[in-house]
Formats: sequence, C-alpha cells, structure tokens
Amino acid sequence: MTGMQQKQILLDDVLAKDIMTAVTRSMRETFSVTVTADPPEYGEGIVALAGDISGIIGLVQAQLDGTLILCMPFEAVKDLLPIVLGKTTPITHEMAVDAVGELTNMIFGQIKNELNQRDHQIKLGIPCVVTGKGHFVCQFHRGKYMIVPFHLDGKLFQVYVALHNSPRLD
Amino acid sequence: MSQLANLRVLIADDHFLIRQFVRNTLKESKIENVQTAADGNETIDLVQKSKLAGQPFDIVFLDWNMPTISGLEVLSYFRAKPEYSDTAFVMLTAESEQQNIMKAIKAGATSYIVKPVSPSDLGKKLFEINEWLKRKRQVSSGMFN
Repeated sequence: MTGMQQKQILLDDVLAKDIMTAVTRSMRETFSVTVTADPPEYGEGIVALAGDISGIIGLVQAQLDGTLILCMPFEAVKDLLPIVLGKTTPITHEMAVDAVGELTNMIFGQIKNELNQRDHQIKLGIPCVVTGKGHFVCQFHRGKYMIVPFHLDGKLFQVYVALHNSPRLD
Repeated sequence: MSQLANLRVLIADDHFLIRQFVRNTLKESKIENVQTAADGNETIDLVQKSKLAGQPFDIVFLDWNMPTISGLEVLSYFRAKPEYSDTAFVMLTAESEQQNIMKAIKAGATSYIVKPVSPSDLGKKLFEINEWLKRKRQVSSGMFN
C-alpha cells in the first residue's frame, strides 16, 4: 500500500460515461463508425453475457479486484473489419479474434487512464480473448456489476465491469 | 511525388488490425515502402537487416506490448546504438499513462501516439516525424561534412 490515498472505484454513471467515451472513440477513430449506447444496467451476483468473441482483462487495486469484458457478436466484427482490411479480404475467425483483442486493449487502456487521473491507481492484467458461437461469460462472484449496451447498425454488443468490494452510488 | 513517399517504414505490432490500419494511412500519404513485424525479435531482426542491406528504415512504429521483446525494450536497444540515431522510433500504443509516455520519451522515442488514433491524426504525426527526420539529417550531414 502506498502512502497516497487510493480512491475506490464506483460502478456509477461517471464510470459508465468513461466506458461510453472509450468505446465510441475507439470505433470512430479505428473504423470511422458511430455506435450508440443505452443506459447502463446495474446488478449484483452472477450474470451471463452472450456473444461470440469476448476480450477479458483483470483489474486490480489495493482494495478490490474486478473483471472488464468486451463481448461482441461475430457479425458485428465482420461488419467492422472490411473497413480497415478492404472489402475483398475474406474475414476469418482469427482476424475477428485479433480485432476484439486490440479493441479490448484500446478501450480499457483509455478507461484505466481516466480512472488513474482520478487517483484510483488501478492496474490491468494481460488481456485474453475467449471465443465460441453464442458462448456465455459468467462471473462466479457475488460482487456488483455494470453492463453498458452498445448498438452498431442494429447489432448489440456489451461492455461489462464487475468489482469485488465496491460500493455503488444509489 | 510527396517527400513522404520516399520513406521506408516498419510497423511493429502483434495485432493484424493495427498493422493494416497504419499501412492504409501510410498509403494515403503515398508511402508504399512498408514492412511489418509481429513481435519484438522480428522487429530487431528487420531493422538490423535493412541497415546492413543499405536500405535502413526511416520510421519504425512500435507497439508497447508485443510478444518476445516489448516495444520499449526494442527502442532502448536501438537508442544505445549511435548508428540508428537518424531513425525515428515512434511508440504507437494503447499505454496512455503519463509515466509510460515519459519513460518512452526518456528512452529516446521520437514521438508517442496513443491508440486509438484517427487516420487524419496519424497523417499529421507523419508530417511532424518527417520534419524531425529532415532536421536530424541536416545536423548529421553538417557534423560529418
């Protein structure tokens, strides 16, 4: 523990705004597309995210730990990749996995920076990507979570944040 | 042909998406002489081989987190060798914290670009890097002529 006081992360609308900014910016700058966000959903306990490709990063702070997930359907990634790779390049599953891995890095890198500018002093682990048609990602802890839904041309994808021992502003 | 068109560029990033994204932006600036590397070892190998072949890279884009050797370690490795002082090593990474930016600048990064970056912002950076290269080479030729 450092001598400096760490501020605890809250699953609140401020963090939701950080997530929305990071996601919309990453999509706009990398793919020149606009995504829209729905209001965040808050909950506690086990929740399952359904998607085809999930980028997952662990988060640690002195007082808590957590999980950050970007969960996308393959169809949404398949719409995005030709913008960078060209329309004639066949989009493979490996390319989609690569793209979600990099988006995970970019999105949660920005969120980490925002949080640390507010003295949260968080660290992120190495991201991993889990794939499988319609796979579920379940968090087997009883902590609180927040899901921010996004839409890209009618296709839904989600960003999920779960924290252990983090109070939520009600 | 623009001045940028003559540049030789290496893009080092383990993600295919970013390698292609940067390649597209370079193409818009008429830069066609582009190679890519997917990890730190391959980057070091390509930079050294191109130098030995008498066709050194002008700009090397470096991701921070790459397999085998990190971009920061690649940067430090070449900055310890005076013969690469005219090469622009540019960090292009999602690492956006001030302390990491300072670490890279201290290690000798010519520029530091945080991902995500738009093609137009990357294009602007290219002009700045090209100006750095011109200044650097003017100084070098003044020193040795």
